[in-house]
Amino acid sequence: MLLWTGISVGGLLVLTYVGLSIMAGGPKDAFEMVRFALPHMHLGKLKVGDSAPDARLVALDGGTRFQIRDRTQGRPLVLIFGSFT
Amino acid sequence: MQIYNDYKEHADFLTIYIREAHPLDEWRMKSNAKEKDNVCYVQPKTLEQRIAIANDFTQRFKFNLPFGVDEMSNAANDAYAAWPERLYIVDENGQISYKGGNGPFKYAPKEVRAWLAKRYGEVKHPEKAPEKKS
Repeated sequence: MLLWTGISVGGLLVLTYVGLSIMAGGPKDAFEMVRFALPHMHLGKLKVGDSAPDARLVALDGGTRFQIRDRTQGRPLVLIFGSFT
Repeated sequence: MQIYNDYKEHADFLTIYIREAHPLDEWRMKSNAKEKDNVCYVQPKTLEQRIAIANDFTQRFKFNLPFGVDEMSNAANDAYAAWPERLYIVDENGQISYKGGNGPFKYAPKEVRAWLAKRYGEVKHPEKAPEKKS
């Protein structure tokens, strides 16, 4: 019984890793995705209707600081989060 | 960019640069090296490095939207669960009015456009003529 449970769990793990490898582009990519990407990806608790969090940002000049809320002028504010890569 | 040009008279836009998604020293994307722009960076360890990449991005792509860089505490990223890319709309009352999904698969600018179009009207663009085959 214990043997078959071990084989089943092991098989599932292998299948999961194969699936991740296909999704990520290769075995190495799957490892890097699990190690580097998944810890940073969160659904988040914010909901429509919640008060928008504020945060301090830095302008491209590297010196000027401003708050997200500073950039609203009583109009809707579209926030676009991302990076270069 | 097109959405910005279409609706900048009605809404404010703010691009927020957050931690890199596919730097060379983490989950590297082979396709990034193949791009003509050669988008290859290591994950910034300092704010200066982050700002340098952000400037590189805006200059290479002539990106003229209002821009801010998340501090190394990742405060904005954490507050909005934004990584690797995400869209939100905050309404005039400071409340979340649209929350997009995590990119890249659920990153949907068309949903932002739909939100803006519903409020301010649709902006139509003439369809591009199909390229002639030589």
